[in-house]
Amino acid sequence: MEDNLENENKLLGKIISKFNVDGRVQRKRRVWVNIDKENLVELCTFIKDEGITHLSAISVTDWIKEGEYEITYHLWSYENKILLTLKTRIDRENPVIQSVQSVWGESAQIHERELYELFGVKFEGNTELSPLFLEDWHGPPPFRKDFDWRAYVREKYYDKENEREKSYFEGG
Amino acid sequence: MQWRMVPELFKNLFSKPITIRFPHESIPIPDGYRGEHSYNVEKCISCGLCAKICPNMAIEMMEAPREYKEAYPKKYPKIDLGKCCFCALCQDICPKDALKLTKNFFLSTPDPAAVIKHPFHGEK
Amino acid sequence: MEIEQISAHEYEIFFGPAHPGSGNFSVKLKVDGEKIISARADPGYLHRGFEKLMEYRTPIQNAVLSDRICVLEPLAWNLIHAEAVEELLGIDTPERAKYIRVVMAELSRIQSHIIWYGVMSIGMGFDTGFKIAFGYRDYILDLFEMITGGRVYPAGYICPGGVRRDFPKGAKENILKVLDKIDEMIKLEEMENPAFLYRAKGIGVLALTDAQRLGATGPVLRASGMKTDIRKDDPYEVYDGFDFEVPVRKEGDVYARYYVGLEEIKQSIKIVKQALNELPDGDFIVEAFKKPKLNLKIPEGEVYVRNEIARGEAGIHMVSDGGAKPYRVKVRGPSFLHMIPVLEFLLKGAQIADVPAIYWSLNGCPADLDR
Repeated sequence: MEDNLENENKLLGKIISKFNVDGRVQRKRRVWVNIDKENLVELCTFIKDEGITHLSAISVTDWIKEGEYEITYHLWSYENKILLTLKTRIDRENPVIQSVQSVWGESAQIHERELYELFGVKFEGNTELSPLFLEDWHGPPPFRKDFDWRAYVREKYYDKENEREKSYFEGG
Repeated sequence: MQWRMVPELFKNLFSKPITIRFPHESIPIPDGYRGEHSYNVEKCISCGLCAKICPNMAIEMMEAPREYKEAYPKKYPKIDLGKCCFCALCQDICPKDALKLTKNFFLSTPDPAAVIKHPFHGEK
Repeated sequence: MEIEQISAHEYEIFFGPAHPGSGNFSVKLKVDGEKIISARADPGYLHRGFEKLMEYRTPIQNAVLSDRICVLEPLAWNLIHAEAVEELLGIDTPERAKYIRVVMAELSRIQSHIIWYGVMSIGMGFDTGFKIAFGYRDYILDLFEMITGGRVYPAGYICPGGVRRDFPKGAKENILKVLDKIDEMIKLEEMENPAFLYRAKGIGVLALTDAQRLGATGPVLRASGMKTDIRKDDPYEVYDGFDFEVPVRKEGDVYARYYVGLEEIKQSIKIVKQALNELPDGDFIVEAFKKPKLNLKIPEGEVYVRNEIARGEAGIHMVSDGGAKPYRVKVRGPSFLHMIPVLEFLLKGAQIADVPAIYWSLNGCPADLDR
């Protein structure tokens, strides 16, 4: 049974013709687009006028071998029933990007606040980037791939060898 | 005044209480309940798959104590009930059905040494 | 922590984590007399780092871990994790497994809404409602014990490939008996009581434009006027073959959310009866997955799955680089949006006596807020 991918192809065509990006249609109701970080806010304002009004999640993936962070935005349209995902890459050592709080409101602000604390990404234009989950945290951002949690736990919390906990510090 | 209370009053006056007097009586436990492990050392082939699949690393393969060593030369599972989450993955993956989960859930004990189940404890 | 004293009338109180009326979550309120000036949410008491824990375990071990994301509806999180892994692997589950999954997910939704009804009642002082709710919830927990082996945590019952065990003998009759009892419970609920209406109508009003801007989903959005449901708009499993309605109200206050919750229990009972009627015979899991696999390699790719759980919209974004363990798992919970932006917006200008009513009507689970 062939799926009718007309709406998805139309949306992808509109985005590709206005901005110089590449993308693909993964299956029914899923469209993935790779963009540059410079056109982020302009593209978001354009697609919000197209009817995509719901921001579902913002997520960061740490590609340590390539030295980059990949930020993904998942957006849903209630009228056309399509999920659009935007992916963009930034540098890992000095991660700075523009915030989309001016387009999507408080639902974007709270996601960016969590990512600042866990990955260290600075979002310019966000009204408040204070700590959310962790209190009195003095180490590096904990969800990066080069954060050695076993060494951190050993140094801060263990003061004598414990027979039953030994297996946790050896294996992977 | 609420008159609909009166039939409720009469119904409850003549019915017996639903309290179950534990431990003299108890409710029936269905089959397939995931409780404490039961291990049969005769069927075990020491493949070590139960130790590899446990999500909490609660099973460790250890050697037999001195008096059993010549009859049982390989390594056998030692289960730490404090780390176990009773998910039954070790029961599903065992190729010879040597490890099964019973219906016993009375596992609280004041003695920390009783929390670890050794394979040769009081079996032969 | 010090309490600030700003002036002679204003002071700060903690609606805190050790309070029996708030769960594992705390809100700091700045108060002037009886009126709240501003509220600040303080999450993080249950942060366990699930997104990093899942990177060290294989998919079948993650299925056991995924039911601890939220204790109030573990089967729903099992289902969404299994769907994400199956879409990455590109496999399709047998028909009988899909119907069993729908029955378990809807029973989990009924059980979660019964808890919602119970804690909203006790938040407003109606203690008998709490006891009625938790007494009837026990029938559903006995069903779970018979089918999956555990009352609250089913230990990865819905795993990638299908379900771990088949229905035992007599399961269908028992489920139908329990659904009759739940119908009995719905007749006992007290919604038209004048004392309750005075505390619920017109309190905590969330308009539709505010709800969309702040990111509300699920029953909170449906009570504000938008008719949307992921089971109908973006269907998964076999939901597109069932006939059910989506309850909507326009006012957006506490009474509207309460009403939507009770109507959803009735619609879920309808879905379970249809699914049990059409339950086909066959396998309950893909043949290759009958024994758990240790070194299953997930092909490279990424996927985003959305499900409608009892609290709203849940999402999992999974990235794999070709190994046996996922490279990155992002978990999006509905309570993250309801309890921080929406709660802070609704509590401004409310009275202290309305705080439990507004707080519990948003149905937030601190566990899937912090993950």
